[in-house]
Amino acid sequence: MSLPRAVYAELESVVGSRNISEKEYILAGNRAQTPEIPFPHRSADAIVLPGSTEQVAEIVRICNRHGVRYVGTVSGGIPTAYATEENTILIHFKRMNRILEINEKDRYAVVEPGVRHVQLYPEVRKRGLSYTAAAVGPGGSVLVNIACTGGDHHNQYGSSRPTRYLLGVEMVTPEGEILRTGSLEAGAGWFCPESAGPSLRGVVKGYSGNAGHIGIVTKCAIALDRCKGPAETRSEGVSPHSRIYMDGGCSRVYVFNYSSIQDVGRAMLALGESEVGATVQKYFYLPLSLMMTASANEFWEKWGRFREAFPMPLVVHLAPHSVRELEYEEKILFDVIRETGGVRLPRDLEKWWEEHMDYFMIVSRLQSVLRLGGSWLPIKTGGESVRHLCDIGDSISGFIHDFTDTGKIFDAPQNYQIIPMEYGHFASFELLFMWDRLDPNSFRYMQEFCTVSRETDLKNHAHSMTAGGYGKAGEALGRLYCNCHLWAGRIREAFDPSFTMDA
Amino acid sequence: MSDLNRFRYTMESCNHCGQCKWILPHRMSGWDFAEVCPVHHHFGFDAYSGQGLVNIVREVMEGKLERTDELADMVHTCAACGACDVNCKSVRDMEVLETIYELRHDLAQAGHLPDSCRRMAENVSAGCDPFGVPLAERFSWLPGDFRDDPDSDTVLFAGCSASRDPGPVLAAIRILQAGGVPFRLLREEERCCGGALWRSGQQETAGDLIRGNAEAFRKAGIRTVITVCGECFGAFRSIYPRFVKPGFRTVHISQVAAGLIREGKLAFRQDARPLTVTYHDPCMLGRLSEEYVPWEGEIRSYGLHVPEKHWNRGEFGVYQEPRDVLSALPGITVREMTRRVEESWCCGYWTGQADPECAAATADERMREARSTDAEAIVSCCPFCRTALSGAGDPLPVVDLAELVAGRLA
Repeated sequence: MSLPRAVYAELESVVGSRNISEKEYILAGNRAQTPEIPFPHRSADAIVLPGSTEQVAEIVRICNRHGVRYVGTVSGGIPTAYATEENTILIHFKRMNRILEINEKDRYAVVEPGVRHVQLYPEVRKRGLSYTAAAVGPGGSVLVNIACTGGDHHNQYGSSRPTRYLLGVEMVTPEGEILRTGSLEAGAGWFCPESAGPSLRGVVKGYSGNAGHIGIVTKCAIALDRCKGPAETRSEGVSPHSRIYMDGGCSRVYVFNYSSIQDVGRAMLALGESEVGATVQKYFYLPLSLMMTASANEFWEKWGRFREAFPMPLVVHLAPHSVRELEYEEKILFDVIRETGGVRLPRDLEKWWEEHMDYFMIVSRLQSVLRLGGSWLPIKTGGESVRHLCDIGDSISGFIHDFTDTGKIFDAPQNYQIIPMEYGHFASFELLFMWDRLDPNSFRYMQEFCTVSRETDLKNHAHSMTAGGYGKAGEALGRLYCNCHLWAGRIREAFDPSFTMDA
Repeated sequence: MSDLNRFRYTMESCNHCGQCKWILPHRMSGWDFAEVCPVHHHFGFDAYSGQGLVNIVREVMEGKLERTDELADMVHTCAACGACDVNCKSVRDMEVLETIYELRHDLAQAGHLPDSCRRMAENVSAGCDPFGVPLAERFSWLPGDFRDDPDSDTVLFAGCSASRDPGPVLAAIRILQAGGVPFRLLREEERCCGGALWRSGQQETAGDLIRGNAEAFRKAGIRTVITVCGECFGAFRSIYPRFVKPGFRTVHISQVAAGLIREGKLAFRQDARPLTVTYHDPCMLGRLSEEYVPWEGEIRSYGLHVPEKHWNRGEFGVYQEPRDVLSALPGITVREMTRRVEESWCCGYWTGQADPECAAATADERMREARSTDAEAIVSCCPFCRTALSGAGDPLPVVDLAELVAGRLA
């Protein structure tokens, strides 16, 4: 189905003829089914490439006038970045890709949606600054990660969740008005997320990122940290065997293995109390094994060794500002490891991290996780205390074997990550598993696994996010469960009653 | 016959991670020069990218998207430079470029391809090279007093572009003579390498050329083929093994020069004018020049390829030798661009077959990047790159590496 001619003409008059298309082959580029989504995407009726906030506002007003739905998208890496209904256009932000400001003094950067991590990160690092780039790969949109989806960074131990780095925001409301929030609204610049009156940050982000928010964020400011480790990095080699180093003598990576997640948790908390380290994480070792190998065949060849070598790795990156400080941090680290029963990994495995420091910057090899066919699902995502998350980790071995040992899914009992943030005051969790998309029953197995996982979480008083979502958890728990998703829905209904906005 | 289904696994594996469009982290330098796909940069729509094209192939294969001339023009706007492929393969086991090639093949077999590509095949059928130069004139540029070694098992493959611009081949001849390398020219036995035709989807016509050249090499007892053109080099390495079992090895003149310099067989003038240059890696000399290894097998659950597949990920292209040669030249200073080696930005030459405006924009972008290094000239090893980049707006001088070397010989 195509848009009425008059609507197309109106949109074309806003963005110009070369920035709108309804050609089938152009639409095909954004509607193919992806392996992790077990249903085909619907086709948009047109794709528009606006070049400014004003153009976005005008597009939204046109859509409202004609009852056309719209979906904003940048990288297309998430299921909601596609049309789900007929009569929908995609608003693609490829052209809105400017870094508008990097303020070194007040430590913030202002970006448009099309700016990717691989563009912003080196710019701020050159200036001795850093930010919590979510673990989505180099091509992920900075603005979407921080203002909308809220994905966690794998190295946020000394910082916090990306969403907490959101400052001033400019957005287009469902009515097509341009709204500025925080200090920006008061004409005081981008530096602060709040201004007079109630906070609008929840409206921007919703409870669970893109599932709850309203409007289209067209610019946002993000807070920057002082970077840990040298501002200059050095690279060698050719892909896929390229290497990135942090020189200067003040960057060191240690990896320890544990036999119990509770001991890992104790180490995390002890290190956090000392505020030692730039990164502390219990990483999932299946993705790690994929990142360390160059093909699926090589992975299967080495998986046994990896499984044996580091089922429960605690990765610690020390990146202080002087050699003396490094010596101090190493002393504390080894005391903690000794007290908690950690065993250092063989040096050849440990060395991988020191040759891939991009892992600690923009988690750039994470897409290797998709190498086993691309059918994967991260579940149990959420934040709790370190101790509680260790309990959740412990509970997994109670149900996962029914699925892994029978080949219904591919995973391993300890293949989850716990990432402390704010020096251990809080932590995020993620269990990542894969399924065989060549198996016609795989979707059913995936659903069964999610159900069992969710039920186990509820028994353990955890409210982490698993496919099936808040609705199913809410049904199970009734009024005991968080009702933010209901409020987000009501707010959205109030602001956007005709649901012209679709993402 | 074309068979899109061979690449079903690739089509069904893409998660839209975006790695096909953005520079790999070990080359990242900031906001600018972070894109690697020229057509995505120019048009903005995802359809114009490795990811989008793979999606398009899937819809063609499944009968959801019609084969048309317009689609063929769009598909040929992509220069098939392979940046998407190398980037994707840095993290995935997918054949993005091979899938795009197969779509071109499929469209060509259905009669859909740009007129300029169709003319290439017509010219070959009419006894010319793909660019319309009669075979009788292929070596008209050769000096009358030139003498080669008719007994040598090494051939200097001049390539089609020598007819238009013989400078690089003449320079290569000087280098080989200065280094004492015996070689011969095939003259009337030499035909187009077939690379451009194959890459345009006209694989059957290309196959005839390829088999003809391989046979000419065999009859002449050729064991080593030296190319001056990056396109020819890439064709011999990455396309010929699809049709024949090459009984020869292929080396590029930059590799020969680097070897001669290492062995102390080339001497250079010390009084040559100082020059700051930047080096442009041609796609077919660099990331697309790895030797093709055929694979037939089964892709089992979780990506296991049985038997094990050899992957060309762009790691072993000719990257270092041209740089070694430049470093050895007195007075030459090299400044690197952000997008270099396997992440090199394409010159856009082949985009011009379908969309001259996009081709010009691609060359302009490369020239802008070259200028950002403060270089006075851009050096490359491929006549097609030289043609494209010389046509950029406000161009820096574009110098062929062989000519630079020959011009500085003592």
